[in-house]
Formats: sequence, C-alpha cells, structure tokens
Amino acid sequence: MEEKKFLEGGGEGISRRDFIKTGLAGAAAVGLAGMPLDALAQKAKPEALEFKPEKGAVLRVLRWSVFVKSDQEFWDKNTKKWEEATGCKVITEYISWEDVRSKAAMTASVGAGHDIVLGWHDDPHLYPDKLVDVTDLATYLDKKYGGWEPVCLKYGINPRTKRWICLPVGAPSMCMNYRISWMKEAGFEKFPDKIPEFIKLSKALKAKGRPTGHAMGKAVGDGNNTWHWWLWSFGGKVVESDGATLCLNKQETWDALEASKELYDTMIPGVASWLDPHNNKAFLAGEISLTGNGISIYYAAKEKFPDIAADMDHANMPVGPFGKPAELHLFNEAFIFRHCKVQQAAKHYLLYMFEEPQYGPWIEAMRGYVTPSLKDYKKLPVWTADPKHTPFRDTIGRMLWTGYAGPVGTPSAATMAEYVIVDMFNDVCVGGKSPKAAAAAAQDRAARYYKPRAPKAPAKAKEEPKPKEKK
Amino acid sequence: MSEKFVERMIKFYLPLFIFLFFLLFPFYWMFITAFKSDAELYNLKLNPFFIHEPTFKNILMLFKETLFNRWMFNTFFVAILATILSLSASLLAAYAIQRVRFRGSGPIGISIFFGYLVPPTILFIPLAAIIFQLKIWDSLWSLVLIYPTFLIPFCTWLLMGYFKSIPKEMEECAMIDGASRLRVFWQIVVPLALPGILSAGIFAFTLSWNEYLYALTFISTTTLKTAPVGLITELVRGDVYHWGPLMTGALLASVPVALVYSFFVEHYVAGMTGALKE
Amino acid sequence: MRISENIAIQPGKRPGRRWRWSGLLEDRTVMGMAFVAPAVGLLLLFLAYPLILGIWLGFTDTVVGGTGEFIGLANYISLLNDALFWKVTYYTFLYTGAAVFFKLLLGFALAIVLNREFRAKGFVRAIVLLPWIIPTVLSAICFWWLYDTTFSGITWVLMKIGLIGHKIDYLGDPTNARIALIVANVWRGIPFFTIGLLAGLQTINPSLYEAASIDGAGGWHRFRHVTLPLISPLLAVVTTFSTIWTFADFQLIWVITRGGPANATHLYGTLSFQRAIPGGQFGEGAAISAFILPVLMISVWVCYKYMRREE
Repeated sequence: MEEKKFLEGGGEGISRRDFIKTGLAGAAAVGLAGMPLDALAQKAKPEALEFKPEKGAVLRVLRWSVFVKSDQEFWDKNTKKWEEATGCKVITEYISWEDVRSKAAMTASVGAGHDIVLGWHDDPHLYPDKLVDVTDLATYLDKKYGGWEPVCLKYGINPRTKRWICLPVGAPSMCMNYRISWMKEAGFEKFPDKIPEFIKLSKALKAKGRPTGHAMGKAVGDGNNTWHWWLWSFGGKVVESDGATLCLNKQETWDALEASKELYDTMIPGVASWLDPHNNKAFLAGEISLTGNGISIYYAAKEKFPDIAADMDHANMPVGPFGKPAELHLFNEAFIFRHCKVQQAAKHYLLYMFEEPQYGPWIEAMRGYVTPSLKDYKKLPVWTADPKHTPFRDTIGRMLWTGYAGPVGTPSAATMAEYVIVDMFNDVCVGGKSPKAAAAAAQDRAARYYKPRAPKAPAKAKEEPKPKEKK
Repeated sequence: MSEKFVERMIKFYLPLFIFLFFLLFPFYWMFITAFKSDAELYNLKLNPFFIHEPTFKNILMLFKETLFNRWMFNTFFVAILATILSLSASLLAAYAIQRVRFRGSGPIGISIFFGYLVPPTILFIPLAAIIFQLKIWDSLWSLVLIYPTFLIPFCTWLLMGYFKSIPKEMEECAMIDGASRLRVFWQIVVPLALPGILSAGIFAFTLSWNEYLYALTFISTTTLKTAPVGLITELVRGDVYHWGPLMTGALLASVPVALVYSFFVEHYVAGMTGALKE
Repeated sequence: MRISENIAIQPGKRPGRRWRWSGLLEDRTVMGMAFVAPAVGLLLLFLAYPLILGIWLGFTDTVVGGTGEFIGLANYISLLNDALFWKVTYYTFLYTGAAVFFKLLLGFALAIVLNREFRAKGFVRAIVLLPWIIPTVLSAICFWWLYDTTFSGITWVLMKIGLIGHKIDYLGDPTNARIALIVANVWRGIPFFTIGLLAGLQTINPSLYEAASIDGAGGWHRFRHVTLPLISPLLAVVTTFSTIWTFADFQLIWVITRGGPANATHLYGTLSFQRAIPGGQFGEGAAISAFILPVLMISVWVCYKYMRREE
C-alpha cells in the first residue's frame, strides 16, 4: 500500500485521520472494485446516476487547444454523438493551454461565460465555491473504472468541504527522453532509475560531446515539472502539510541545489531562458541527448525524423534520496461553474465524455499525450502497442501535487506562477548564488503568498454561510 | 558627376540599405521559414538563409487545417468597423474641442488624451464584467466597441492638430454667408481635413489589426477569432510550434495592411504633416 | 452652470425636427457637447469605469473568483518591500529609456534619409512601416526563433565568418536577454518615429535651409539650428507616445522570455499579468499596473505643456 503513505501529506481543514482514510479507500478501490469511497460514496450503485439534460441546453466548454490533431477529432466526434443523443448543443472553445487559466479566471470572477472548463493544476481550488459539486460523478466513475489514481484525490477534492469539485481528466505528463545509441556510447546499457546514476549518465554524455538540456526558464510545463521533481526527489518541499509552515530553506533543498549544479554543467547553453518548446527543437535537431518532456518529441520524430524516433526512448524520472518517485506533471481537470444554467446537461455531458466508449478512444487517439486519471484506462492498448509509450502510462501514479506537502490552493498557484522553485535553481546554476542564499530568498518569496494570506483566506471562507452551497 | 554619385551613395543609399536590412531581415526569416519543412528547419548543417527544398505544405496546412480565411475576414470586419466608429467619434470631438471651443473643451481635451495612458492589463478583468452585462461577450461587436478606447485618444489628438492647420477664415466666411455650423462642418471642414482623417484612419486600422489581449479574452468561438489569436491558438500545440504555418500566417496577415500602406503612405505622411503644420 | 445642465440633457432628448436640432447646434456649448458626446461616452463606459474598478482592485486583497476586502495601501507596501518588484522597476525604466532613445535616434535618422526624392519612394516608405504593421505576437515569435541559442541565423553567420567561437546565449544570460528584448522593441518601434518625423520634416520650408546655407552653415549646423528647433514639438509628442507604449509593453516580453531568465526581463506589465492571472492575486496585479499610471501621467503632462507652449 505504497499509495497510502504517498498521500500522507495531509491537508488543510481536513483532519489527518480522515484524510488517510480517504486515501486508503482510494487505494483499496484498486483491489476491491466496488468498495465505496468512504464518506464520499453514500450513493449506491453506479447505475443510479441519472441526469436529465435540460431541453435545448447549450453548453459552453473551454478546453486547451490540442496537442495532436486526432485529439480534437475524437473530442469533437464524442461531443457530436452526445449532441445527437440529447438534442443539446455544445460550443467548444479551444485556446492554447497556457491561456486556459486566464480565461477560466475571468469566467470565475465575472460569473458568466463558459459552463465547463478543462483547467490546469490548482484552477478549481482557486475558486472552489464557484464550482458545482461533482461528488456523485466522481464516486460513480471511481467505482466503475477501477478507481482514481491517488493524486486525483488531492486535485479533485476540496479539502475544506471534502467534496469533489472537479473531475480529473488526466496528466499530460513528462518522462526522460533520451537517445539510445548515445546512452550506450556513454557506457550505460539501461536508463538509470536513481538520481546519482542519472547525474553520472549526464556527465558521461557531456564528456562524449552530447550535452543534455532541461528547461530552466519560465516554462509552465517543462520548467516547473523538472525542478519540482528535482527538489522533491531530494526530500525538499516548500511547505509542510499544514499549508502554513514554510520549510524550503533546509538541508534537503540545499542538497538539491548543490546537485543541480552538477546537472547544469552537462547542459547546453541557453537553458536558462528555455520555454516549453525549446527542448523539443534541440532534441529533434540532435543538439541534446537527454531532456525531460512529454511524448510530443517522439510524436514529432515519428512523423518527420524517423531516424531519431528509432533511436530514442523514454524512462520515468529517476528516484532521488527521497526514496520514492516524486514527480510533477501537468494535471488537467474538468469542472462545472455554478453559474451554468443547465447543470444537469453539464453533468450528463461530462459523465458521457468520461465513459469508456468515449474516453477510451479519445485517450487512444492522443497516442500517449495524456495519462488517464482512472486506473482501468491503463489497460488501453495504446500503452503497450508501442513499448516507448509505456513509461507514460505510469507517470500519474508517481506524481505529487502542486504545493506539496500543503494543500492545493491559491498560495500554491501563486508560488508556482511566480516560478519560485525554477528561479531558485536558476539563481544557483546561472546566477551564481550560494544554495543557502537562493533557498532563503525563495522561501521569502513563497512567504509572500503563504504567510499573510493563507491563515486569513480559509478562515474567511469558513465564515461564509454554508447552506448556499448545499443546493 | 561621379563624385556626386559617391556622395549620394554614402549619404543616402548606404544608410538606407542598412536600415532596410535591419527592418526587413526578420521578414526574410519569416519568408524562408514559411517554405521550409521541419526536417530542414532543424537541420543545423544546412545554411539557414536559403531554402533547400521548398515545400508548400505549410501554406496548405494553414488554409486546409485552420480557418485562416475566416479569421482574416473577422479581423477585417472588426478593424474596419472599429476604425469607422473611432474616426467618427474623434472627428466630431476634435472639431468641437479645437474649433468650437465651448466651455469645458480644454479639460475634456485633456481627459481624452489621458485615456491613452491606461494599460490594457489593468482593464481587461473589469472590462469583462461590462462586456457580459452588455451581452456582447463572444461577439465581434465587443471588440468593435472596445478598440475605440485606445483609438479615439490618438485620432482625436491627430485631428485636433489637423483642424488647427485649416484657416479659420474659411469657416467664418461661410458662416457670414449664412451657412449653419453643421453645414460648415460637413461641407467645408471635413473635406479639408480629409488627409488628416485618412492618416488617423490608417493608424486606427493598424492598431485594431494587431490587437491581441482583448481579442483573446473576449472572443471564444473559433469561427469568431481574429487572425493573430487564431494563429497562436491553433498552430501552437502544447510545446510544439508549427513554425512554417505560423510564419506563413504572420506574413499573410500583414500583407493587407502593407498594401493599404503602400497605396496611402504618401497621404498618411501628408495627413500627419497637416496635423503638425502651424 | 445652467447652460451646461441644459446640454447634458439635450442630446438625450433628441428633438425630432431637424430645424430644431440645427438651431440648437448654433449654440457653441450645445454643439460642442453634442459633438464630444460619442467619444466621451465610449471612453467613460469602456475606459474610465473599468479603470476606476481596476484602481479600486489595487486597494483590495481580491484573489481570483473571490471578493476582496479593502486593505488600504497594503498591496503597495508589500510591493515596496519586494526585492523582485525593484528589480522589475529597474528593468522597466531601463527598457523604456534605452528603447525610446534608440527608436528616436534611429527613427529620426531614417526619416532624414527618406526625406528626399528618389525612385520608388512610396514603396520604400511603405515597406519601412512593415515592422509596425505586423501583429506583435507574430513578430515576437519570429524574434524568439532568431534568438534561439541553437538555431539562430545570426549566430550561424557570426560563426561562419569566424567572429565568435561558441554559440551566443541570447536569452539565457540576463544581460544579453535584456539587450535582445530592447533590440526587438526598437525594431518594432522605429517606423512610428520615422513616419511621424518624416511628416514633420516635410513641413519645413526649404528656403530656411537655403538661407542657412548662404550663411555658410554646414550640414550639422543646419540640422542643429534649423531642423531640430522646428521639429522639436513634434519630437516631444512622438516621444511621449512611444514612451507610453514602451513603458506599458507586454506582448513582446511575454512571448519571448515571460520575464526570465531569473526575472531579469520582467516589466510592470508582465509582472502584473503574471501575478494577477496565473498567480490569481488580482489585487496585487492591479496595484502593479497602477504603478504605470503616475509615470504615464508625468509624460503626458510634459507633452501637454510642450504642445501648449508651441501654440
């Protein structure tokens, strides 16, 4: 029951015991399919879930614009099927994934606009009171499809009310991308699964004139993912599970920073300002031998650079002194706004899209881009059809959440948006700061969001009249 | 003769060439990128300044896989309407402030000018609320109504300057002849100010054409997007940039405005000149 | 006072008959007010009102999707204690100062070059405007590619002719990144200066130059004592406009570096956006935006004084 421990981070507002119970139940659901999800699952069997879409309902859906074309094809196809089945209408807006947050924030603060948003990371926890409770859907799906991956509980449940406020869609996740032949040249037969060997491999590659490259600029995905993974893998973290005690300026962080210098020495020039696309370009041009990225490089290589596709492979991010996988990936969840006037239709639509006949082919069509949030979908052929896809299947089970070990919420979102962690590594590797100075500065930056606001905001939220929510 | 040529060379052609090189180099880069395949783009062994195996796939992708035509139409629609709206409002306002000199015209003139200062980043969230209340969210009309906020101040300023250059006597003569102020405005002032109106119009058109933040925020439906927003949202897929089609789109999106300019640039300069004449 | 009350009501009343309309319009104040009404109305609704809301936001602790409480100057005080904010302030001024200076210098130079008769004059003047015409997001993407350490064409040339031995890290090194972004901004802004100043140059009566030449004035002298004084009011106006845009710049930085590396290239505009939208701190974001206002006020005031004096 690795997953139980994994979730011990706990949460604000929710007692530790409660939380472990929830986590345990989530984990147990793998083995004992159908076991109710603790407090969340008072409802009976999956069949009981019935929604009646309002007549002539029009749903406005906001989602990220596709990574692969087939994504949109299948998403639109599924939507069309639903429209035909219900007589309702869906207007889907695709915008670049990084802009979803801006638009969703606008929708939330104005209280009008999109009904359903497929947002990222902390989005639903920035405005939990504006979202429709989807505990019924979450419970149903949990039972029907082998249970949610453990991290989904962190992202899906509002720690204060212990209700689900969104449905985790999946994680467009990251693995190490490497060139097989170059790794062998450097004297490694297998990709290392521990960080010390990983550093050795990077050094050996560099010595052979094959530098590595990891985004260290303001790359929302690659930059944050890489450096959170690195920090956590050394046991460092920004905040304790109480969500208020900052603990970044500690030995673990200093170790991580010290080690990052060794890794940085193996990288090509320019990484300090790399955004998400840079490593794709450099890898495809054969300039770097190793980088952390989604499956997009492999996909582009298969289409346009077959030689590289044949010579590259993926591996899960190596494990550090922390002793267990501690990865960060982009995380996507679907949520319904309360201002939606056709909530039955919205729930019906979301559920429809999550059901196997729709969700399965859709995940298949994305060819490994998005790792599904429900365990049964791990069995889809896409994960084994090409062995190079397989590492991506397991990423979501290896991940922690933004703001670990605290709760997901406004402070974690602000800290990440501010690139506190990425900048900290940048300061040491590029800016020449000492690890201690960099960690102290980063902790101060994080404190801007954790200290003055964190104790206040939840307190205020608790005072809010609850009855309104339970409509 | 040849000395004169050398002088002209040094004083004119050489600097002109250097300037043109600096200003146009990125366009050349876009142009060649538009015709390169990804394989060529990422091949560091090739000379990046030539197209080795020209491909038309990028252009095809732009027109076949995206709604580029539609976005161009939307951009035109918004730019033209916003320009007309801003021009009309500015024309009236500038005339009133500069010529009618009514009580309070000074402060109003200044406040309009100050309107130019407000950065969109501070405005767009509060604006969103207004747009929703007016029920023009996700409609091109929202842009038509918002763009004048940054067009009117400049246009008004430019036209005020231009009205200053029109001799007052002409108006006064016509008024003595018994023409009403309104008629004087329509039949004498507006025709005389035409070059200025044209400059302001071109200016307004360009700014509306390029606007990004509002178009991104207030438009949702794919078929209603403007060209810059459409290109970015559809051709940047996750961490993969479709450089070829993006650059093709960038070039094609600037062509219409460039054409407008090449026809009108002399008038544009003349219009600005009028605005500046004392 | 009575008169102006009248006016405020009149446009709304819409007297049906044409003659009454025009009769009323003979009154200066009525006509003036009626004429400025559309412009003022649009600006009030879509600019002044949201601006006031925005400024109010800066005095609250509003976060995304929440309602904030009035917290006075807390946002501002917290910003003044934020080392990053000062770093951003520094670069915002550096960026604006350097970019406007070079735009002015180069734009003016180009205007002087173009201020003569030559073949294809119209065409050249039009293509010179291209950088200003192309949507900024897209030209920024092009610059981004040109500044790529690995793929930059500039690096390729410099290496080929043997000027440099290793690749230049345009955007990874803080100093380089700062310069690179200023260059991109200058590239985009030159045409605005050129066209504006070219217009001014054309209004200068050639006989003034002739007179100066007869007095034995050289090229520099003519520029210093004829061109410059005549064009300086225009110069002030064009510079003010450019200062406003540059100071509040957002797109260019957001596309190319997002403020990196290590926050070396953040401007008020980008920091405000980063904290307000991805960070969810609406109040703080609005407070940063509000820092833009005083600077802009001052520049407009300077410009306005200048215009008035020339009148």
